[in-house]
Amino acid sequence: MNSLATRREVTLLEVLDRVIDKGVVLWGELTLSVADVDLVYVGVKLLLSSIETAEKMRRHAVAATWEVDSRP
Amino acid sequence: MIWLYAVTDRPEAEAPRVRGIEDAPLATVCGDGLAAVVSRCLRDVPPTEGNLLRHEAVLEALMADRTVLPVRFGAVASERKRVRQALRERRAWCETNLKRLRGRVELGLRILWGEPEGASAGGACACPTTASGRTYLLARAEEERQEKARREQARDFALWLHGPLERLAAESSYRLLVTPRMLLTGAYLVERDRMPEFRRQVSALGSAHPSLSLLCTGPWPPFSFVSPELQGRTEELVRDARF
Repeated sequence: MNSLATRREVTLLEVLDRVIDKGVVLWGELTLSVADVDLVYVGVKLLLSSIETAEKMRRHAVAATWEVDSRP
Repeated sequence: MIWLYAVTDRPEAEAPRVRGIEDAPLATVCGDGLAAVVSRCLRDVPPTEGNLLRHEAVLEALMADRTVLPVRFGAVASERKRVRQALRERRAWCETNLKRLRGRVELGLRILWGEPEGASAGGACACPTTASGRTYLLARAEEERQEKARREQARDFALWLHGPLERLAAESSYRLLVTPRMLLTGAYLVERDRMPEFRRQVSALGSAHPSLSLLCTGPWPPFSFVSPELQGRTEELVRDARF
């Protein structure tokens, strides 16, 4: 996996982890059913491995943190 | 239908020019000193990569010049009137939280460690084919004991790493061992101007512990600090392993 693709996947994972699972619910009307969310989480499982890939690459770099641009 | 992105504290401010879900223009619905940022949408908006990122992109555009209460993906209202009504009903709650979040952003942190593979591999090999039931049970009990010790060790280590970061944040939350390798998943509510300091601290932890991998992300909209279950508290959420 190249580094751009990894970054994109890590970004998506981070977004997913927030927008689906957290945030204000002011209204009772949520279009997303639990079943949909479970499907999304299947995707997360795959994405988690990309974090590990990202980390393997990073480990060779000097910088200890790697800031992800969260913009799509 | 009306798709909701955020509640903000600036009803007078124009909606940003970025496009929302389904490429629709953004609009604001104002009421009682608050504004909900919305766009029109069809009834079903699937949680595709594009839609999730679009929701996030709108929030990031809003964060540039106002405080936001990010709304969870998937919230829709049938008409504007209902949005205004909800703003009215939740006004006090929204105002309190907007005040709490003003000038602050969420930073994310994931810490990976390399420890667990050895332990689990050893356990798997110990699985006997010819040994007696008693030997098997003893082996299982030993495995369980090791697993428990490992979790305790992980917890102590994670909290030790989390401590100095927590002190730089107004609020924080974390989960331990979401996967065996992911020691800590943290969210930190940090003053915008303290972000560099926070990142330096993460770097310092990385330098001090070369065996760890640290991934610091953000700034994010403060998603992790508006969920009802997390609100205003530092707390540990060891969730059932979904992964």
